[in-house]
Amino acid sequence: MDKLASLLHMTPAIFWMVVKVVIVFSAVMLLASVWTWVERRGSAMIQDRIGPNRAAIFGKIRIIGLAQLLADGIKFFFKEDLVPEEANKGLFWLAPFLAFVPALIGFAVIPFGKDFTSGGVTYHLSVLDPGNGMGLLYPLAIGGMAVYGVLLAAWSSNNKWSILGGMRASAAMVSYEIGMSLAVVSIFMTTGGYDPAEVIKAQGHLPWAWNIVHQPFGFIVFFTCMFAETNRLPFDFAEGESEIVAGFNTEYGSMKFSLLALAEYSHLMTASALVATLYFGGWQVPFVQNPAVMLSVASFLLKMLFFAWVFVWIRWTLPRFRYDQLMHLGWKVMLPLSMANLVFHAWRMSQGH
Amino acid sequence: MGVVVKKVDLGWLDRTYVWPVMKGMSITFQHFIRNLFTSTAKRYTIQYPEMKKEIPAGYRGLHELKRFEDGAIKCVACFMCQEACPARCISIEAEEFSDLNITQGFEEKRPARFSIDMLRCIYCGMCEEACPKDAIWLRNDYEVAAYDRLSMKFGKWDLMNTYAEADGKDRISQDTTPTVPRRTIVM
Repeated sequence: MDKLASLLHMTPAIFWMVVKVVIVFSAVMLLASVWTWVERRGSAMIQDRIGPNRAAIFGKIRIIGLAQLLADGIKFFFKEDLVPEEANKGLFWLAPFLAFVPALIGFAVIPFGKDFTSGGVTYHLSVLDPGNGMGLLYPLAIGGMAVYGVLLAAWSSNNKWSILGGMRASAAMVSYEIGMSLAVVSIFMTTGGYDPAEVIKAQGHLPWAWNIVHQPFGFIVFFTCMFAETNRLPFDFAEGESEIVAGFNTEYGSMKFSLLALAEYSHLMTASALVATLYFGGWQVPFVQNPAVMLSVASFLLKMLFFAWVFVWIRWTLPRFRYDQLMHLGWKVMLPLSMANLVFHAWRMSQGH
Repeated sequence: MGVVVKKVDLGWLDRTYVWPVMKGMSITFQHFIRNLFTSTAKRYTIQYPEMKKEIPAGYRGLHELKRFEDGAIKCVACFMCQEACPARCISIEAEEFSDLNITQGFEEKRPARFSIDMLRCIYCGMCEEACPKDAIWLRNDYEVAAYDRLSMKFGKWDLMNTYAEADGKDRISQDTTPTVPRRTIVM
């Protein structure tokens, strides 16, 4: 590794960093694009349909509809890039990136495998090493940023449907973010730190010691809020087809639209990684004290993909909530529930548990 | 008249919302698993170009001009179908075609031209109802498409051969002179 780094005129530390960044972000983007296929095929199976299976490479190789990804990509790439005349052009161009980047970089602090030592140097399998001082506050803060992408996309396209969608997204964010943060705070409290590595270490390898067992209500609140955060169906107010056309991305087409769509799926990946880290022991392998590095990575991926699948699964099970129902849920159910959860765990800790 | 809506009394378990969600998820998951292990050919969807719907009897599809065993057209150019057609898509030109006449058991008239504009046809089946000779049938072919308007104007020979392959008959492009009398005349 040192040799390769010196060949590229980089210090080993920087080289390792670059490798991690490339692996993590390309993996998340790849998974996000594959998940559009999973969503379409999975929803088709749930609804007794077949789903996309016609796209074929060279008109022959169908690979159960996976060629649809390529076809969609090529189609989006060659479509005319329309910008509405009355739009705020700068922001209109900026908004997809503002939606996409926070969705992706939230992944940076999440450890996706066990750290290992090689040649006297400890390598951490997360883009930002533990002890960076931000810990899990960072993905939460970035998650709060994500709504700017939606709101700017809505506002800059100068369309009434869009602005309604953007307003709803931002209003919804206010109502769920507090409950979500309080749910996470009670985890920080029981862990004694907010670094994801610490959170994972504290949970251990035994499934009944994971946070899901200790804080089931916190999990329910957090997971529900993740649906709202990723703007996905039971809570997709930003783009309710039946009411406000396509919401914030009404005016978007071509690559800008595909970037917005990719942002949603990257956000889904980040959210499911967060759920796995916070409540399901991250890279811990059940009943294995000291897992091999690859095993821990596989375990993390499995957990992450399972929750990503649950996102898809719930989307095709539940009907949409009404806008005021999320408000009701956020303020009257989630907030008291996570508050009670917090107080309960504070009380337990004061009793010396 | 007022309608009394019965309110469902939810138990505490149903009111948590989490339990009903899980019930719903189990239902969707059952569907998912069932479809995962069913090949796409066996699902409800009829995948059109490869699989085709079974056409029920009495379906009104593409027309056929019927012919006798010897290949002569059954149509006697009586213009009934043209009159009956609500879309006015049939146009017929009649001709007299042989020295044989009705007293010998032969028809004297046949269409020289018989054309149906398939773009105007509404497949109502009125022509079939009106025909006194059972010479025009609407059958089971529903794949009527073409690249230009002109080829959607089906002429006499197109209409006589629409189901030639399906029925295993020869394609004909020439009027044959009838040899056998069509009916016996009781004098």
